[in-house]
Amino acid sequence: MSLPILVVDDSLTVRMGLAEMLEAAGLSVTACATGAEARAALADGQFSLAILDVLLPDADGIELLKEIRGTASAAETAVMLLSTEAEVRDRVRGLRTGADEYIGKPYDPNHVVARALELAGRLAPSAPTTETVLLIDDSATFREALKATLEEAGYHVAAAASGEEGLGLAAFVRPAAVVVDGVLPGIDGPTVIRRIRFDAALRRVPCLLLTASEEEDAELRALEAGADAFVRKDHDTAVILAKFKAMLRSAGAQAGGEIAQSLLGPKKILAVEGSESHLERTAAAVRACGYDVALARSGEEALELLAVQPVDCILLDARMPGIGGLETCRRLKDIPVMRETPVIMLGDAGDADSLLEALGAGADDFISKASEVEVLQARVAAQLRRKLFEEESRLHRAQQLQRELEAAETRAAKEIAEVRAALVEELEMKNKELDSFAYSVAHDLRAPLRSIDGFSQALLEDYTEKLDDQGRQYLGYVRESAQQMAELIDNLLSLSRITRSEVQRESIDLGALARKIGSRLEQRDPDRKVALVVADGLTAQADGHLMTIVFENLLGNAWKFTRDRAEARVEVGAATSEGQTAFFVRDNGAGFDMAYSSKLFGVFQRLHSAKEFEGTGIGLATVQRVIRRHGGRIWAEGEVDRGAAFFFTLPNGAGGPGALAHG
Amino acid sequence: MDEKIILLVEDNPKDEALTLRALKKGNILNEVIVAHDGAEALDYLFGRGEDGNLRALPQLILLDLKMPKVDGLEVLAKMRSNERTRLLPVVILTTSAEDRDRLDGYRLGANSYVRKPVDFVQFTEAVTQLGLYWLVLNIPPPNTGR
Repeated sequence: MSLPILVVDDSLTVRMGLAEMLEAAGLSVTACATGAEARAALADGQFSLAILDVLLPDADGIELLKEIRGTASAAETAVMLLSTEAEVRDRVRGLRTGADEYIGKPYDPNHVVARALELAGRLAPSAPTTETVLLIDDSATFREALKATLEEAGYHVAAAASGEEGLGLAAFVRPAAVVVDGVLPGIDGPTVIRRIRFDAALRRVPCLLLTASEEEDAELRALEAGADAFVRKDHDTAVILAKFKAMLRSAGAQAGGEIAQSLLGPKKILAVEGSESHLERTAAAVRACGYDVALARSGEEALELLAVQPVDCILLDARMPGIGGLETCRRLKDIPVMRETPVIMLGDAGDADSLLEALGAGADDFISKASEVEVLQARVAAQLRRKLFEEESRLHRAQQLQRELEAAETRAAKEIAEVRAALVEELEMKNKELDSFAYSVAHDLRAPLRSIDGFSQALLEDYTEKLDDQGRQYLGYVRESAQQMAELIDNLLSLSRITRSEVQRESIDLGALARKIGSRLEQRDPDRKVALVVADGLTAQADGHLMTIVFENLLGNAWKFTRDRAEARVEVGAATSEGQTAFFVRDNGAGFDMAYSSKLFGVFQRLHSAKEFEGTGIGLATVQRVIRRHGGRIWAEGEVDRGAAFFFTLPNGAGGPGALAHG
Repeated sequence: MDEKIILLVEDNPKDEALTLRALKKGNILNEVIVAHDGAEALDYLFGRGEDGNLRALPQLILLDLKMPKVDGLEVLAKMRSNERTRLLPVVILTTSAEDRDRLDGYRLGANSYVRKPVDFVQFTEAVTQLGLYWLVLNIPPPNTGR
């Protein structure tokens, strides 16, 4: 259930009138006569909407509005101001202070109720309007009888006596169904249904048309208008109810989605005239048609007002003090959002120049001030109709554009997904190919090497007396080469495996890892004496298996290149480089010429001859790949005969571009 | 049967010769039966000899993985699913040290996985140790071979 509505007006007639109508529309109302009462009510409870008279005996409605806007608990309350149209300033002040609507007195009660329902509903979108049935019939007795029957059946009923009133209500009540008499004063029942079908927000509402018994072509007319069902009015109300329920059942399945504000809502007209008497006359004429009227006495006032309150049509006096009607019109039409709002210029009769001037300034129509009231009313209605059509077709266009956009987006998303799937598939295939290539390298290249080595050894053992020293030496070379090639194959495989395997980060103590590998190196080469110094607290988020490969290579190199040092020293630690932690392995060995440092990390790149230091030229390339797969950087510093230092970073989190598997 | 037979399953004649040489070098003088592919191995293990009887089961099987017709993993899977050969010690002796081969080998119930070193001295060492361990040190489960 939505929150009640607060009505504050010192006039008993206004108060009671509004309360009755709002209650009839299914809302609960608290009515107050003074500002004090209103404050008490506001302190006591919450309201979905406050309708405030601007002029109260003990308070100013706008002050009350300020208080409401300043209260946290009332932040959600919508506010509608009611005022006798005295000053444009009041209206501007009210809207600027945060009023959601400002309606001038005298007002059309249907309009106020419709707006009230909309404002209250805006804050309670699930308000029980879905079960509301809109009943339009000009016969009070029949209306009441059918209303009672429908209410007995559990429906909430909003009743209207004319098609115009019914459409105004439909815009805000958002009925679940409409029951409309075929014959009405003003626009008839089929027209009402056509208009409902024409409105984006209402077109799915099921409509039942009531027809007179004697009408021959009633069925045809009803179907033509788009009625979902029709029933003869002279039937018993129970029959009408049964027919109504059947219609709801068949329509129930296809309830449409919520669409923006209805186009059939009550219209607001701005009248701008310099002369007070003319303004009164124009306002009265427009009000008589059920429009809400805002007044302005000059072009400046009109522009000021339009900045805070959009209207549906503007009646503009051509000759006014200040900037005048023509300039006002020009300025209006310069404002993008105002361009679509129809402007009807009011000018002197029979003055062809005035007409041309008005149209030249961008006015949509021109009427002589001397025209009959009916002419004015008809022209306003025509302009509003035109605006309605334009808005409707704009809505259509926007919806179509939206649909096209969505379709295009769906197509694009599909294409992207397809391309991506193809790429992933290709990558997987390439990886698979690489995998099987690496596998056959591992297997098929090693097997012959084993034969070469094995049978060379067999020759050395079994035929040693048939070989001289040189022959034996040659066989030694054969074996050495075979073993070297086996090592090369193993290193290449390791390098390719690193590219393919996934980086699995965990917290690693790099210091402990370095010590472990250091002691392994010591065991392998017990004659060497190397002082290994490892700093404390070397932890990183990295892949343990891959970091083992890194330290095996870096420490292995350090061991190798310090071979000729009397006091070999290898240091493992961390330094800060460009704000990042850089781990390093430093030795005091053979070092290298910085001029060649760029070649250090290339596959098969060696800075030392095999005679000086053995090696395959793959180790540092492997290390670089591991670091890159972690999103890190590796670089080296060195000097010939004064040692080398290798630095690398291991940024936390997801790796850089190397995180994706690539060849 | 006191004779402890070794079944060597190896398709490469050069590797076969090297393995036999390594066994000899390691003073492992047990009878070695050579199957030249997986099919021959299965035939030996499950087929009947000329006398119509099942053949004596080996004490140790040295199994290569990559072979034509029936590969080593298939031989292993068939052995492990047969009651008679389920508990026979199988040592995978192969060139490949790829993760997936090792994983598949152990999953299918290999008792050991040894990569053949290129260096023949190391190879001889490995084969000798294997023979010593599985034929001398290791005590097999009861009732194997029958």
